[in-house]
Amino acid sequence: MSVRPFDGVRVGEELPSLVRVVTAADVQAYADAGGDHNPLHQDEAFARSVGFPGTLAHGMFTMGHMAACVCAWAGDPAAVTAISAGFRAPVFMGERIVAGGRVKALDPERRTVTLETWVSLERDGQTGWPVKKGEAVVRLG
Amino acid sequence: MDPQVAGKTYPDVAFVVDPARVEAFRRVFDMPAGVPPTFLTAAEFTVMPTVIEDPELGLDFTRVLHGSQSYELHRPIVEGEILTVRARIGSIRVKGTSGFLTIVMDMVDAEGLPVATATSVMIERGPA
Repeated sequence: MSVRPFDGVRVGEELPSLVRVVTAADVQAYADAGGDHNPLHQDEAFARSVGFPGTLAHGMFTMGHMAACVCAWAGDPAAVTAISAGFRAPVFMGERIVAGGRVKALDPERRTVTLETWVSLERDGQTGWPVKKGEAVVRLG
Repeated sequence: MDPQVAGKTYPDVAFVVDPARVEAFRRVFDMPAGVPPTFLTAAEFTVMPTVIEDPELGLDFTRVLHGSQSYELHRPIVEGEILTVRARIGSIRVKGTSGFLTIVMDMVDAEGLPVATATSVMIERGPA
């Protein structure tokens, strides 16, 4: 993998956004790979019994999508030295999510970049529903 | 939740960074190579059920939501390596009818050197 060169990165630069539609099959594959088998994400009847309209994606599914956006921009997952997110709203099956980010700060000495990151729900072409707000630090080449 | 439980530590658990599982995880997110940083969640979930179901905490897991998550990686994770997962209760705060449980997990390698720290905040929603 080739990590993005530090030189040339500017504060305010936006990461290419990453779009996906959440499906039950993907959420099931995530549960198996990630090891979180909470029935809230797999059992419709259970999700409704605790007050949701249906099963929801794991918070870590949406955060994983955010991380994929960061890793694609950085060029190598090993470049990520920190990543965090606040989980603001549930995401249900069939919803379209968009991950994005922006360069917030540069540290030329360490060749690290701090990114402001997010995941929004896209509805009717609008992406104004933030489901995740986060931050990541990546060490570039 | 019982705030007195803050600081409690759990027994070490070994976690193998199984290349097949890393590949399955990458496939979910359509990532070409490497260990995704949030793959550490798989290590956390070797211990998470023990914590969530700990009778000393008294959590109602049907009302638990994941509130926030952070990972600090001291070095890249290597496929095939074995990590030791050390979990502890960082803090417990109660606000109104909701409780906020912070779980901290340190991951160390075979030499005992720190690899990553994972911090999860779980929210126990108040009864409807």
